[in-house]
Amino acid sequence: MAVGELSNYVTLSAVLFFLGVAGVILRRNPLVMLMGVELMLNASNLALVAFSRAWGSMVGHIFAFLVITVAAAEAAIGLAIIVVVFHRSARVDVDDVTILKG
Amino acid sequence: MLHHAVGISAHYPLLLATWLLPLAGALLLWSTGPRIQAKGAVLGTTVLGAAFVTALLSIPDALRAADGYVGAQQPLVTWLPGMSLGLLLDPLSLLWTLVITGVGFLIHVYSIGYLAGDRAIARFFAYLNFFVFAMLTLVLSDNFLGLLVGWGLVGLASYFLIGFWFEKPSAVAASRKAFVINVAGDVGIMLAIFILFAQLGTLSYGGVFAHVAQLSPSTLLAVCLFLFVGCAAKSAQVPLHTWLPDAMEGPTPVSALIHAATMVTAGVYLIARCHPLWDASPDARAFVGVVGAITALVGAILGLGQWDIKRILAYSTMSQIGYMIMGVGVGAYQAGVLHFFAHAFFKAQLFLGAGIIIHALGDEQDIRRMGGLARKMPFALLAMLTGTLAICGIFPFSGFFSKDAILYGVLEHGHPYLYFIGVLTAAITAYYMFRMLFVVFAGQARTPASVGEHAGHAHHAPAWLMQLPVALLIVPTIGIGWLAIGGEQSPWARFFEPIFGASLQPLARLGMSEATSSLVVTSVVLLGIATAFFVYATPQALRNAPERLQREGQRMPGMLTHAFYFDDALDGLFVQPTRALGRFCAATVERDVLDGGVHDITVGARWLGHFFRSFQTGFVRAYALVLALGVAAFAAYYVLVGVTR
Amino acid sequence: MITALILGPILGGLLLFALPRTADAAARACGVVLALAALVVTLTGSTLPDESIAWLQRPFIANYHVGLGQGLGFWLVALLNLCTMCAIAVIKVPRVRDFTALMLLLEGSMAGVFLARDLLVFALFWDLMLLPVFLVLIGWCGHATAAWKYLIYNVLGGLTLLLATAAFGIAAGTTDVIGHGPIPVLTPTWAAWIFAGFAFAFLVKTPVWPFHGWMPETYVELPAPMVALVSGIQSKAGLYGFLVIAWVLFAEQMHAMVPVFGSLAVIGLVYGGCMALVQSDIKRVVAYSSLSHLGLILLAIMSGQPLALQGAIVYMLAHGLFNVALFLGLGFVEVREGTRVLSRLGGLGVSNPRLAGALIFAALAALGLPGLGGFSGELLILTGLYQAGDYWQTIVALLVIIVAAAYMLRLFQGTMQGPVSDDLPQRPDLSAVEVLALIPLAAMIVLLGVNPSVLSSGVEPSNAVIHALPLQKERA
Repeated sequence: MAVGELSNYVTLSAVLFFLGVAGVILRRNPLVMLMGVELMLNASNLALVAFSRAWGSMVGHIFAFLVITVAAAEAAIGLAIIVVVFHRSARVDVDDVTILKG
Repeated sequence: MLHHAVGISAHYPLLLATWLLPLAGALLLWSTGPRIQAKGAVLGTTVLGAAFVTALLSIPDALRAADGYVGAQQPLVTWLPGMSLGLLLDPLSLLWTLVITGVGFLIHVYSIGYLAGDRAIARFFAYLNFFVFAMLTLVLSDNFLGLLVGWGLVGLASYFLIGFWFEKPSAVAASRKAFVINVAGDVGIMLAIFILFAQLGTLSYGGVFAHVAQLSPSTLLAVCLFLFVGCAAKSAQVPLHTWLPDAMEGPTPVSALIHAATMVTAGVYLIARCHPLWDASPDARAFVGVVGAITALVGAILGLGQWDIKRILAYSTMSQIGYMIMGVGVGAYQAGVLHFFAHAFFKAQLFLGAGIIIHALGDEQDIRRMGGLARKMPFALLAMLTGTLAICGIFPFSGFFSKDAILYGVLEHGHPYLYFIGVLTAAITAYYMFRMLFVVFAGQARTPASVGEHAGHAHHAPAWLMQLPVALLIVPTIGIGWLAIGGEQSPWARFFEPIFGASLQPLARLGMSEATSSLVVTSVVLLGIATAFFVYATPQALRNAPERLQREGQRMPGMLTHAFYFDDALDGLFVQPTRALGRFCAATVERDVLDGGVHDITVGARWLGHFFRSFQTGFVRAYALVLALGVAAFAAYYVLVGVTR
Repeated sequence: MITALILGPILGGLLLFALPRTADAAARACGVVLALAALVVTLTGSTLPDESIAWLQRPFIANYHVGLGQGLGFWLVALLNLCTMCAIAVIKVPRVRDFTALMLLLEGSMAGVFLARDLLVFALFWDLMLLPVFLVLIGWCGHATAAWKYLIYNVLGGLTLLLATAAFGIAAGTTDVIGHGPIPVLTPTWAAWIFAGFAFAFLVKTPVWPFHGWMPETYVELPAPMVALVSGIQSKAGLYGFLVIAWVLFAEQMHAMVPVFGSLAVIGLVYGGCMALVQSDIKRVVAYSSLSHLGLILLAIMSGQPLALQGAIVYMLAHGLFNVALFLGLGFVEVREGTRVLSRLGGLGVSNPRLAGALIFAALAALGLPGLGGFSGELLILTGLYQAGDYWQTIVALLVIIVAAAYMLRLFQGTMQGPVSDDLPQRPDLSAVEVLALIPLAAMIVLLGVNPSVLSSGVEPSNAVIHALPLQKERA
């Protein structure tokens, strides 16, 4: 893979990552935040796979699979939490959920 | 060659019996006391009688001499090399043993009468027996360690007996004071022991006295002075005497036995026993002689200001022990010991006589409320009069011989100023003793109620129980002075030849002969008596006695009523600072610094917790922002610094 | 058999829970019998061989190694079993069964400390000692402050001990070193840090001024039988550690720290004495007197002088005996009158002559009356200190003896003498069991006072452990 090609992948990955960051920080809907997180994880997956291919190492692939697994678990737990919060207060706004305040 | 304080080592069952019988009596009375009560009194007395008999039977052992070894030595246990316990009965300890058991026995008999009806009489006799055991431990020990043990135990017995009526706050306070001051004395002896053991590696009398020459003069002086701290506390020498007058809170037989005849003379015993040390240290002799003289004088002066019959006798005891200490202190050992011997009898007699009066008047001790007792209580008059004549030193009573011997001995050993103090004290003694005698016995009764014998007490112990011991004491009060007649050839001198024979000899004869000295002393004593007569016993003085005595009480200078402020000085110098230090430790160091310091650590931990808690806002998006910033920071780091690898 | 001295009380204590909850007398009897059995095993067991089972190989060698021997440990275990027996016999608290079980647990873990021949075993039993005391403080006492104070101070000490033990094992390769074997050579930096860990634990446990913050409240709050063991025997664990571990394995560091620890000891000696003089709570008086006495023993240990060390051992045993007697006596007062305030008590001696006798005996032993155990220990210590040239320490200690007489008599007279306090209940005198429980203690105190050489005759002079010490201290 040429260097220019690689930089395209990395650029796309960076754009996706910052879209995800913006989603997590700016949106108050936990579902959208979760999607932002997923976006960041997939951005990093893209970067991992791209670098892996560029340097001909399988480590990046393996790591990407690991990330996918973690992302699935994270989505499951995150959705479960959202459902519980929704049951308790009938609306979902992360700014209302402050019971972890010290 | 004479071995100081080393006896013929063997087993002496009689000696052991003398020593242990009183202990057995005490333990028996303690364990069975509440059940046998009055029988316990008889039991305790019998035990002591047996101890006296075994002591008498031990006399041949004590006097046996061979190869320069004198007396009986019984080894007991060994703690360490150089630290072992044992008993030694030689003429010196024999004399004390006989007085302790003999006079002790008479006082036991007297106590059966005096305390008849007291519900704790068995406990009283347990204490008395324990005291005799402790005192025997003190005088029979053949080493400084055992001496210290006895020294401490007599202090304890004294504590128990002063505080015998322990519901009385004054008795409780007096007993504590006596004990603490005596512990201070013990501490002095302990220091002397440390020095001796560090220097010589042994604590037995024989071992120490054989090597006195190895001690440097300053070490020797230190040893003597620390030993003397113990003597001063035990024998009520200035300024550690303040417990003795207070000790009169105890029952009168206790005052007679412990605080007159035996325990308070332990200091005299110690110096006489340790005479090789004093022989070798002129500075110690001078110091102890001066303290003894001051004590004699101070005691006599303070005796002037008392109204309590027992406190008068207490101050007179202090004064007489001052004489003894002055005698043995300057090197006139035989004279000091003779005065102890004479004093043991006449002072016990005075206290027991006073006890008869106190008992008859229903525990009245103030002489201003007595008066006119001569007709009602002729026996008490006889006892008190002979005792007073003896203490004043009137021929032919025992005090005449012993006091003269001390005073002339002081002169012989080169201390004319101490002689002067001694003579002055003799005059004051005559005055205050006869003051007491006149106020108590002469004139009209000043007691409000009509008082007969045993008026204050419901029980009726036979009168002879209290009178017989006193009568028996009168005999030696008149008799024992004669032992000392004949100078170096007197029975007294020959008895102590093995002990003091090789001790310090007096200086060259002075200008004054012993007869002249006696004449001087007798005339000043007569002057004192005459003054007392003119002040208290002329018909005119007797007519308006109550008002005169009251006026005297009001005009008494503060120096006398406060006993030269010794109590206040000791309190201000030692007691209050220690308590203040304790309060400072409790309030400042413990609470503020130590506990406060630990508390500050917990406060700090809590503050840190509060600080970190403030980061937990609970805003999920804030957390997300921090996360993002963290990622940005990482990214920025790698962009700016670059990956080095 | 030696293991039985440790496990017997611990398992026995746990088995007590099989008894019915209300079986007070049975639980007490079981406890007394177990402690008596342990005492008999100890006294007859001075020739038993050590017991050793291999335990760890990595990261360092550690064995379960216990031994009785004929040394200080032997006497302390004997004292422990005797005192536990006497203390259990007079337990008077709610839930006797549970309390007795915890007493036995404490006995077993303390036996483990004194019997351990391996540092790791020593450290583990050291921490186990905490547990029963903490549980009693939580379960039987009014407020929890004392419990937490006790726990935090002592866990901190236990933690440093454990860390130091681990570090010692790694540095030396083995922890099986107490009282036997060659002394491992450590690099100075390691040795200094490890020594600091041990020393801190010992100072807190004893306790030595100024690490005594946990002591007064713990002593005041604990019921008498437990505080008797804590003050009488547990306090010796730290001193035992100084003698048997610090002096042997870290002689160089000890020499360097002698001025510091010696000064702390002197401060504690004076401080405890003065504090005891002004306390209004009877148990606090004894707590601070204990601080003072422990300071004296530490001073003797620091001097390293043979005579003073012998005195220290005599005094450790005597202090154990009279402190147990004192606290049991004060416990009787507390149980009878429901108060510990000195100014409210008074005149108990009229109706309780036996209690008064017991208390004055213990108080006299504590103030160093000649002829009793406290005196012979004190005398040997001070003679040794004087010989070693520690003049001013000797004189300070002597002055404190006078203060001791004052506060002990204040304690005794304040409770037993003076006018009878009318507002206090009049309770019966000591029962036969209570008297019987005190008699062995009194007999031992007299024996130690009359002839302290019983400790060194037969069993070699306070013994193998002491003789292994590098005692020769350089003095100019």
